[in-house]
Amino acid sequence: MKNVILGLLRNKKALTGLLILAIIIVAAIAAPLLTGFDPARRVGLPHQPPNADHWLGTTRIGQDVFSRLIYGARTSLAVGFGAGFIITAVGTIMGIAAGYKGGKVDEAISFLTNMVLVVPNLPLLLVLASFIGQASPVVIAIILGGTSWAWGARVTRAETLSIKQKDFVKAAEMLGEPGWRIMAAEIFPNLVSIVGINFIGSVVFAVITEATLEFLGLGDPQAVSWGVMLYSAQNASALQVGAWWDILTPCFALVFLGTGLSLLNFAIDEVANPRLRTGNSLARWVGRVRAGEGSL
Amino acid sequence: MVFLLRRLCFYLAAFIAAATINFFLPRLLPGDPIQIMFSSAGSTLSPENLEALKLTFGFVDAPLWQQYLTYLASIFTGDLGLSIKYFPLSVNEVLGRALVWTVGLMGTATLISFTLGTMLGIVAAWRRGSKFDVIFSVSAIVATSVPAMVTSLVALYFFGFTLGWFPTGYAAAPALDPAFSFEYISSVIYHAILPIITLSIVLTGGFVVTMRNNMINLLGEDYITMGRAKGLSDRTVMFWYAARNALLPTVSGLAIAIGTVLGGSLVTEVVFNYPGLGNTLYHAILARDYPVIQGQLLIMTLAMLTANFIVDVSYVLLDPRLRRA
Repeated sequence: MKNVILGLLRNKKALTGLLILAIIIVAAIAAPLLTGFDPARRVGLPHQPPNADHWLGTTRIGQDVFSRLIYGARTSLAVGFGAGFIITAVGTIMGIAAGYKGGKVDEAISFLTNMVLVVPNLPLLLVLASFIGQASPVVIAIILGGTSWAWGARVTRAETLSIKQKDFVKAAEMLGEPGWRIMAAEIFPNLVSIVGINFIGSVVFAVITEATLEFLGLGDPQAVSWGVMLYSAQNASALQVGAWWDILTPCFALVFLGTGLSLLNFAIDEVANPRLRTGNSLARWVGRVRAGEGSL
Repeated sequence: MVFLLRRLCFYLAAFIAAATINFFLPRLLPGDPIQIMFSSAGSTLSPENLEALKLTFGFVDAPLWQQYLTYLASIFTGDLGLSIKYFPLSVNEVLGRALVWTVGLMGTATLISFTLGTMLGIVAAWRRGSKFDVIFSVSAIVATSVPAMVTSLVALYFFGFTLGWFPTGYAAAPALDPAFSFEYISSVIYHAILPIITLSIVLTGGFVVTMRNNMINLLGEDYITMGRAKGLSDRTVMFWYAARNALLPTVSGLAIAIGTVLGGSLVTEVVFNYPGLGNTLYHAILARDYPVIQGQLLIMTLAMLTANFIVDVSYVLLDPRLRRA
């Protein structure tokens, strides 16, 4: 664990990724200090290009784009990390339980996992979100968490199956350690890199999907988030009237966050698995993101 | 055979599960499900049509399990009901019209990105650690982490609006009538170029990483060393020894990609206002046209399951061990 952290600090990609992430997090936390404008209110003339007052211009209804950008980062980060946490937690618990317990438990969980995997994620999310109506970011995070864990469960299960055969697990069993302790204290620590990659992949997936759902008009249009920014800019025909700042700002923000997270993931992969440095778990990463995003 | 039969049963179960979600979702939510589903239908549908639609979705005056069976019966007879927004068209007709455009768009984009991504992946793996590898692997990873709508919007802004090289919407010039003429077909192609390029960018990253990963795992194998020891050229070893074997898992990935094709271009179609399935779904959502939304979920599920089944069959053909199991 310590080696992983030390290794990350020596890795250029990790540092760049961390720096990007840090910039976004600091901007999100310090939003009230960085701007005096309320992101939800009309504070200027409509569709003004970037100027000294409004650094990134204004939207069609006169909201300040810069303040929406940094306040919106709060939503994107919160949904991303919140949903990412749920997805990873459910996937990891399911995966370890299936892999370690075996038998009926494994059969049941694997059946459920495969089922969730083959039902395409995006249309299901769309149906869910459209029935719920205008889904708030919290609701979106919960829906994402509940429907997207299957891929992580499958990967964790496979890895657990191989760790289960190791001597230290057998030894712990002979010592009479209870099952939950073996799963939590013996098996889980050996899954850290897989869980980490799963987590970051899930965060990216959640950020992308939240923005997509909101862009398609399934979110709460009053919320301040990057997806809603895109949605309102698109609705205001920002491209047609040449208000590039309105629509390219959230685009840039999403690319920035995506790049930061993927660099970080690339680096965790390189550091945690020197043998896999050639890219084994990169496929997992793509699988993770693609599992849902592939159908966007 | 037994293997395929078991898979077939599993897919049937998965399909019924998706249909079941469709059935229970409106009934689980607070409020009157009929009200939720058909509130937008009042102005367009006649009372008889509304009755027929309710029947399709199992809203009959009977216990829940009978409602469920009524619903399943209509699904399995291919009756997805009437569209509320596009009345008097049925859901099948609405989706059928849009399907052609989406298949054309995504088919081409998948083909391009598969070819390009696989080639880049082969070369990146062969020269792993080189500048080529670092640049393309990192950008492939980044490309998979950028939402499709961002790529689409940026492409539309620069090449559609700013430079004016490509049209900014529709599948063909609106003034032209669909006909098998040079004028119409060239207009269709012209309108498809930018969406196809955008989709290819979105899809290529995944193929690069998968292929690179498969290749690298194979490059350590003895038969690669053997090929080199025989004095074969790099090119021969790279393509005929390594890539040929690494391609197998990618081909099954391709089948899955085709399964997601139907939903694949959703965001891109919305941005480019392209009349495919994705755009239809989008407008159905805006109009709360639940019959179309649900029909889309079922059709995408069906496509995904079919693609998975094709992968299973191809595995049986390619891997003799599965035939005995």
